[in-house]
Amino acid sequence: MATDLMDRLKILADGAKYDVSCSSSGSSRANSNGGVGSAASCGICHTWTSDGRCVSLLKILMTNRCIYDCAYCINRRSNDVQRVALSPAEVAELTIGFYRRNYIEGLFLSTGVVRSADYTMELLIQAVRTLREQYRFNGYIHLKLVPGADPQLVQQAGLWADRVSVNLELPTRESLALLAPDKTRDSVVGPMRQVSSLIVTNRAERKQSRKVPRFAPAGQSTQLIVGATGESDRQIVTLSEQLYQRLDLKRVYYSAFIPTVTDSRLPARPEAPLRREHRLYQADWLLRYYGFSAHELLDEASPNLDSELDPKTGWALRHLELFPLEINRASYEELLRVPGIGVRSAQRIIRARRQGHLGIDDLASLGVVMKRARYFITARGRYAGESGLESSALRSRLVDGPKQKRPVQLSLALEQPSVDETASLITGEL
Amino acid sequence: MSGCYSYDGSLAGLLTLYARLLPERADVERISATLLEQQGLFNSEICIATDQAVAEAFWQRLTKRLSGNSLKLLRRCLLADHPQQELLIYNYLLLEADQGRRIDGMLAHPAVAPIWKLSQQVGREAHRYLGFIRFQQLQGGLYYASIAPDHRILLLIGAHFAERFSDQQWVIHDQRHGEGILYDAEKKEWLLLPMEVTARPDVTPEEAQFQALWRSYFATLAIPERTNLKLQQGKVPFKARIFLTEFGGV
Repeated sequence: MATDLMDRLKILADGAKYDVSCSSSGSSRANSNGGVGSAASCGICHTWTSDGRCVSLLKILMTNRCIYDCAYCINRRSNDVQRVALSPAEVAELTIGFYRRNYIEGLFLSTGVVRSADYTMELLIQAVRTLREQYRFNGYIHLKLVPGADPQLVQQAGLWADRVSVNLELPTRESLALLAPDKTRDSVVGPMRQVSSLIVTNRAERKQSRKVPRFAPAGQSTQLIVGATGESDRQIVTLSEQLYQRLDLKRVYYSAFIPTVTDSRLPARPEAPLRREHRLYQADWLLRYYGFSAHELLDEASPNLDSELDPKTGWALRHLELFPLEINRASYEELLRVPGIGVRSAQRIIRARRQGHLGIDDLASLGVVMKRARYFITARGRYAGESGLESSALRSRLVDGPKQKRPVQLSLALEQPSVDETASLITGEL
Repeated sequence: MSGCYSYDGSLAGLLTLYARLLPERADVERISATLLEQQGLFNSEICIATDQAVAEAFWQRLTKRLSGNSLKLLRRCLLADHPQQELLIYNYLLLEADQGRRIDGMLAHPAVAPIWKLSQQVGREAHRYLGFIRFQQLQGGLYYASIAPDHRILLLIGAHFAERFSDQQWVIHDQRHGEGILYDAEKKEWLLLPMEVTARPDVTPEEAQFQALWRSYFATLAIPERTNLKLQQGKVPFKARIFLTEFGGV
């Protein structure tokens, strides 16, 4: 190992870091036949970088050489960066070295496309196979599928990895044609469809016999770049909903577009991209865990998420007729829709109220965020918001939170100059 | 009986104390761990002497009585490092003696809510340390990691590492509480032992290389346009960083 390896690792990590997928959850792989490692189904973050993102997997490219020229990508063919590669053996050795020191939870292996999709896919599989067979590695592996790779290779990839993914990157066919002219929508969606049906079949087969090897036990994920093209939040959230429902994806990641290369087809840096990304993730959670559907959160009249309010509060403000809700009677599904009540606190409310009616004061100790929830609930018929639901100030209260009383110095009114006087002092008029 | 009680600081001591006080429904104001040598003549505290047999019998009864969930809460709280944990647990057990398993649902009760909160804190810290352990390979092949967590979480994380690194010899050393886990790869067993550092660990040359690789890898990962140091500090508090390789720690 020389500095040469360090340089290559740096370049290849730099090329992979814009892929935001980070999770190491969803797969519980036991440590088998005396090998190293295991996968914890809850996922484990090992550290956090200065941008606040977690590091769970060793996220690297096999190579940053690429035959494609996608406008948004740092590794595009026409970009002037140094091109390097790691061999499958080097990838395996690095992974094991980091893993044994508990730096990482596993490997996230992506790559630029060299020669052909199939050739590249084979390289990735070879690295992962070395890890699983030679090192008997039972840790987590997330493997990228190369768009356009042979279905047989896709199937193999899923047998070695815990999670596989293809990045959709751009929400619509048109944007893809504009910014990634070498890729077609079908070459991206094709493998996703295939993986989805393979997962379903595998699940059925494993019900018959536990000896059938697992196929991508942690499912598949994808990523959408937000803000590089003109799609509305409504288009994006609706797309995610379809991906979750039809292709049974585990996660859709959103990546706020931050220009790394200049291109006339790309917009300048969009305004508050991180805020938008954050709101999209909130909406995504509402889809997956709170029983919301995309059309409830966004419609033609308001195609974009409110940047000042979280999507659930926004929805509640549009449906004031459903509130206030009596927490001692509301169903679990109704509780989940109250701003300030999450999955955990809803479950705890249900459990706790079996032992007796809950009062307003009990709620905070159950984990309810009263700052938001107080306006939307009653407990034993009591309402705790300072102003009613009809109040026109409700929205501004939810945006800013309840007004805090600032401490004021007590003094005699005589000593304070009146407002007029101060004004005249400034203007010089008497 | 009402007032302040003390025990010798051991788990058996604490359990003996509970075994003696609970049947009397004693009104307790304070429970403190006082080491034997510090126990003075003029102490107002009532000192409960440790009785191993009483403690064991009490624990046996408790594990049978409690639901899996409250046992989990209790285990975590016993491992906590909190100035009032003994009293909080006492109040919880007192309520349990009255209410039995109904206590599982009494989440908002003033004797239950703090126990739940404390157990959450301990559980959360234990989970965080599944990621924050940094092993260094020492001459002779042992992997050594040191930490200084707020709570005594070693017993909660031992099984995870014993499974994951079942083929390597390792030690996780909690410097703050002076104890450590030693894993024996031959026998596939792990033990919690009192532990002290006597010398600076002697690392292998390969270790230094991997540490350098990891540091440089970590440094490239952040995206400058997204810098958010406050978020990072919430996730990786400074007190944890002194043991993390990527933050320049040991």
